[in-house]
Amino acid sequence: MDLLTSLLATAFLAGGVLAFAALGEVLAERVGVVNLGVEGLMAMGAVTGVAAVTAVPSPAFGFLASLAVGAALGIAFASATVFLRANQVLCGLALTLIGTGLSATVGRGYSGMPSPAVFERVEIPLLSKIPVLGPALFSQNILVYLIYIVLPVALHYLMFRTRHGLNLRAVGENPAAADSAGIPVGLIRFAYVVAGSALSAGAGAYLTLAFVPSWSDGVVAGRGWIAVALVIFAGYRPIPVVLSALFFGFVTALGFVGQARGWPVGAAVLSMMPYLGTIALIIVPVLAWQKVRRLMAAPASLGEPYHRDLR
Amino acid sequence: MIDLKRLSRRGLLNMGAIGAASLVMPKGLLRPAYAAEPLAPIAEEDAVIGFGHVGPITDEGWTWSHHQGLLAVQEAYPKLKKIHEVENVPYSADATRTYRQFVSEGANMIFDTSSTGDFLHEVVRRAPDVAFMECDGHAIMDNLGWYYLAHWYPTYIVGVAAGHLSKTGKLGYVASFPVPSVFCSTNSFLMGARSVNPDATLQTIVINSWFDPQAATQAGTALIDNGCDFLFGIMDEAGYLQVAEKRGVWAAMWNTDIRRYGPNAYVSSIIIDFKDFYVDQVGKRLAGTWVPGEHILPLAGGVDRDVWGQNVPKEVGDAADAVRQKMLDGWSPFVGEIKDASGATRVEAGKQMTELDLYTWDWSIEGVSGLSG
Repeated sequence: MDLLTSLLATAFLAGGVLAFAALGEVLAERVGVVNLGVEGLMAMGAVTGVAAVTAVPSPAFGFLASLAVGAALGIAFASATVFLRANQVLCGLALTLIGTGLSATVGRGYSGMPSPAVFERVEIPLLSKIPVLGPALFSQNILVYLIYIVLPVALHYLMFRTRHGLNLRAVGENPAAADSAGIPVGLIRFAYVVAGSALSAGAGAYLTLAFVPSWSDGVVAGRGWIAVALVIFAGYRPIPVVLSALFFGFVTALGFVGQARGWPVGAAVLSMMPYLGTIALIIVPVLAWQKVRRLMAAPASLGEPYHRDLR
Repeated sequence: MIDLKRLSRRGLLNMGAIGAASLVMPKGLLRPAYAAEPLAPIAEEDAVIGFGHVGPITDEGWTWSHHQGLLAVQEAYPKLKKIHEVENVPYSADATRTYRQFVSEGANMIFDTSSTGDFLHEVVRRAPDVAFMECDGHAIMDNLGWYYLAHWYPTYIVGVAAGHLSKTGKLGYVASFPVPSVFCSTNSFLMGARSVNPDATLQTIVINSWFDPQAATQAGTALIDNGCDFLFGIMDEAGYLQVAEKRGVWAAMWNTDIRRYGPNAYVSSIIIDFKDFYVDQVGKRLAGTWVPGEHILPLAGGVDRDVWGQNVPKEVGDAADAVRQKMLDGWSPFVGEIKDASGATRVEAGKQMTELDLYTWDWSIEGVSGLSG
């Protein structure tokens, strides 16, 4: 494989974790709920994935189990934040603490053990023959296709091309107006927060079942927070979120390739590049152009619990 | 004053910047064991031993090996009153608290299996009647000694095998931090390979962790993409072995036999074994003959190469084992002239590096790239 192809292949693989988790966060934030529990959800998803495939050696089973655990935690989080109207930031932090702590406890027996079953590479006929992009994108595991092709397109269509999408965005922008229009605010918020939590946990399973592939305490290593940040940078839109995650993965891969090729740049600088790159590529345009800033704005009611009776 | 390259092997885990200053190692520390009075003997039934580990005992690597040592102590001295064991001791003031707890529970001898430096020494000074042993430590006190492994010998032997097995002559190394353990490991590995193939080179990638499967996996992939067909490293997990297995290149590991994660790629491992050492040290403490000392466990006496992998041709294994035999007979490959990466002569022709030189090696030899020394 030539340099560009191998770089891109690693970028798709590495960026997938962030893209997956960030897509989950987009769902929650679009309906007006900040979920800072992504880090904890990913940790739980990661350990669940390994634990599940240890019991039943099927990666799909492990992945679904992770989604289920993520959804269960999401139900707890959404009940507190949507129905009981608790502070979203505090609940999210609590979820992160619970998730990282609990996963470390549950995962003790699986620490360092390679996953017994992982998602294997599936080549897509014809498409995988395209030069550069073929081997980089179209001969990966099935989750990569889900993350980069199926999910962003489906979510984009859902959010911006359907009436239901209009409703869910209205819930995030102005829940009172949505409520007056007969949209079930609480139910929509609850459903999307739970779905988003499941996706974030799925990102953890992607780590342990496709990318690394083994569990160890701290395997998520702060990527949940980067995912939360990516959502903000990418203007709460599914396709830009995936692209910025890919960019992040690309720059990370560049760091390793740079070291392998002996580029005359310090290892510390190379490991710093993803963060420098994020600043350069994402913050600078927002600061520079007014129009971009409006496009990238957060949902107006983000972080605010909705009280029908307090209006 | 702060010399980051002298930081100890595992001390860097969880380390904050403040901790850095505490591990500065004085030059020329080789001294004979202290002439202090040995601690009084103690009956086996009354003795309490403590073990503090950096990781979980389930890690199948470093901490697991020390735990095996603990089990051996338990078997050798079944009447011991108590053995305390604490996992995941962080490199912070929490370590001080942990070791102080051991002392207050009446421990007579305490092993710190991954140097916690000053966080341990604070307790050592306040508990003069307790014997302390620090793995990969550098300091010695009236009641504190240290121990480590002469891993450079088996590493050289594995290097010889790599020299035979690598077709491209490009070797890859997944490194944790630029610390002496890593400098010594990369250097002796390449020296072994160059004894067979003088044109061999070693490319390293520093991933800033002893345990990060994700980074090790990516680093291994990048090395292979760049033409390396033999991976080595100093990791506590099997990340890059799995990459090597998938990509059809060779790999050698550290700590334990983990060939089942990549049976076709597996060449060997730097196997560590502290069992006899721990049993011996505890025995001396009980008998009242323990004195603080500096112990570097020798080849075949705590550290060795593993049984060769299933795909390693017999003649390659034999060639490497012949070198091993020479070492056991007293030969050392670490004799000048040795040049550093800039081409300057660092070890004069004919001069042999001492064990302590090797233990504190902090520069790269010619042919190693990627480690800033």
